[in-house]
Amino acid sequence: MYNVPHEIPWKVYIPLYFYFTGLSAGSFILSTLSTVFGIKRFKPMALPSAIISFVLLLLAPACLILDLHQPTRFWHTLVPEYFNPTSALSYGSWLLTLYPIANLIYIYFIFVKNDTVTKVLGTMTVPLAIFVHAYTGFAFALVRARAWWHSALMPGFFLTSALLSGIALLVIVAMIMNRYMKEKLDPELFKSLRLMMIGILLMDLFWTGCFWLTLLVSNADGYVSIMVALHEKLYLWGEIVAGMLIPLAILLIPKTRYSRPWLVLASLLIIGGVFLMRYSVVFIGFEVPLS
Amino acid sequence: MTTETNSNLSQQSIKDGKGSEVRSDQRVKRWGMIVDQRRCIGCHSCTVACKSENNVPLGYWRSWVKGIQKGVYPDVGTMFLRRLCNQCDTPPCVQVCPVQATVKRDEDGVIVMYYGKCIGCGMCISACPYDARFFNPIRHTADKCDFCSHRIENGLEPACVEACLSKALIFGDLNDPSSAIFKTLASTPTTVIKPELGTNPKVFYIQADHSLMGRIHFTNDFRQGILEYNRSIPSPNASYWSNDGDR
Repeated sequence: MYNVPHEIPWKVYIPLYFYFTGLSAGSFILSTLSTVFGIKRFKPMALPSAIISFVLLLLAPACLILDLHQPTRFWHTLVPEYFNPTSALSYGSWLLTLYPIANLIYIYFIFVKNDTVTKVLGTMTVPLAIFVHAYTGFAFALVRARAWWHSALMPGFFLTSALLSGIALLVIVAMIMNRYMKEKLDPELFKSLRLMMIGILLMDLFWTGCFWLTLLVSNADGYVSIMVALHEKLYLWGEIVAGMLIPLAILLIPKTRYSRPWLVLASLLIIGGVFLMRYSVVFIGFEVPLS
Repeated sequence: MTTETNSNLSQQSIKDGKGSEVRSDQRVKRWGMIVDQRRCIGCHSCTVACKSENNVPLGYWRSWVKGIQKGVYPDVGTMFLRRLCNQCDTPPCVQVCPVQATVKRDEDGVIVMYYGKCIGCGMCISACPYDARFFNPIRHTADKCDFCSHRIENGLEPACVEACLSKALIFGDLNDPSSAIFKTLASTPTTVIKPELGTNPKVFYIQADHSLMGRIHFTNDFRQGILEYNRSIPSPNASYWSNDGDR
């Protein structure tokens, strides 16, 4: 057989970018739990998580620009004349510009402890944070050529795993704060973070099950992509087992669930697993030949 | 009422024949191509003509000929499929481009690239269901077949059509009832690649073999097939440039 296939246009920066925006959106939403939704025990986490979210937001577009083959032309995405109303990336580049600015103003008002303004700003920025990550899901879901991406579940899956990675990162940060700060954090905080992680992990497993079932009875492309995925060690053992099932077991088994070191281990596994999820979404999609 | 006038118009232009050139110029064009696989002999002239006409870098192709051998001796056959950009009427690449660097031209329906606008994000390459796009390693932008837009704007046929020695490629205006492509489409069973995606390609095939039409075929060794596919990617990173004598 003779054929001309073309190489994969994306490098590892793309999953890395999804990962960073996910972490950023996740930690931002956690930061608003106290400032907007008024859950008092998250109060000490509001400022650190907002700052983490901002720093990650500087890394994310950098990854995106690094992956461009014409990096100096990145500003073309922000020219109103070039805006393409059917392209998720067009909306995304505007969101990626507005969201860090809104985030920075929000951080300033937390810093000066102006609670009422923080609440208003937080309320306005939460939708931005959600859309900034949901659009990456839409960037995949709107590609009808690839069965592995073309699914209505994709934006939801991206959002929940963003939240998951955000919480896991925050557990680590809270542990470090607890270790080095004078006032200890409320143990209730860790309990509720753990419960949130369990809930969202179950949600992620539900999404994964939905993907498996629908793709197994899908067209040839869909079937081959799920078979490729199930043969892929990084996907099956990395993302599913090490990134979801083992952390879930750690968080549920009575022996380990109240222990701090185990909680840190579970969070680290989740942080790794979410990256592998981004990675497998992008590159297993490219694994199935189209021509 | 409108259909009546339309049919009148088309009847007139058929009657007028060559004389209606001015009128057909005023109409909106829709360039299309028929690839007649009954006539294709697999000589790859179109591939070579395309590469030299459009100055496509070494190791990359805008259009190419897929080939496959089938059967067991003595019942064997060699099938070809001439591949190029399908110039979809609802193009997925135009849908995803964040900067409108690739658009469907209103005047003739050809999907063209504006290389100066392209930021090289690769979204169109991932979104093309036909794998017809690639990164041009010299321009550092996405690149694709555009029916030789510089030639068709000046009344010439695309380079591949001119080079085809067995007249397997029919190029013409799908809106012009007196064109050869219009008549062939009306009288011959044709197909397009991946019609289920709703991309409405303007490249039609006569007697194309199903095993070459781009859908992956599930077998027990599909992984082997994918590995083989990936191994044949002719990119600079895939040791294409080294003189291993492997290919």
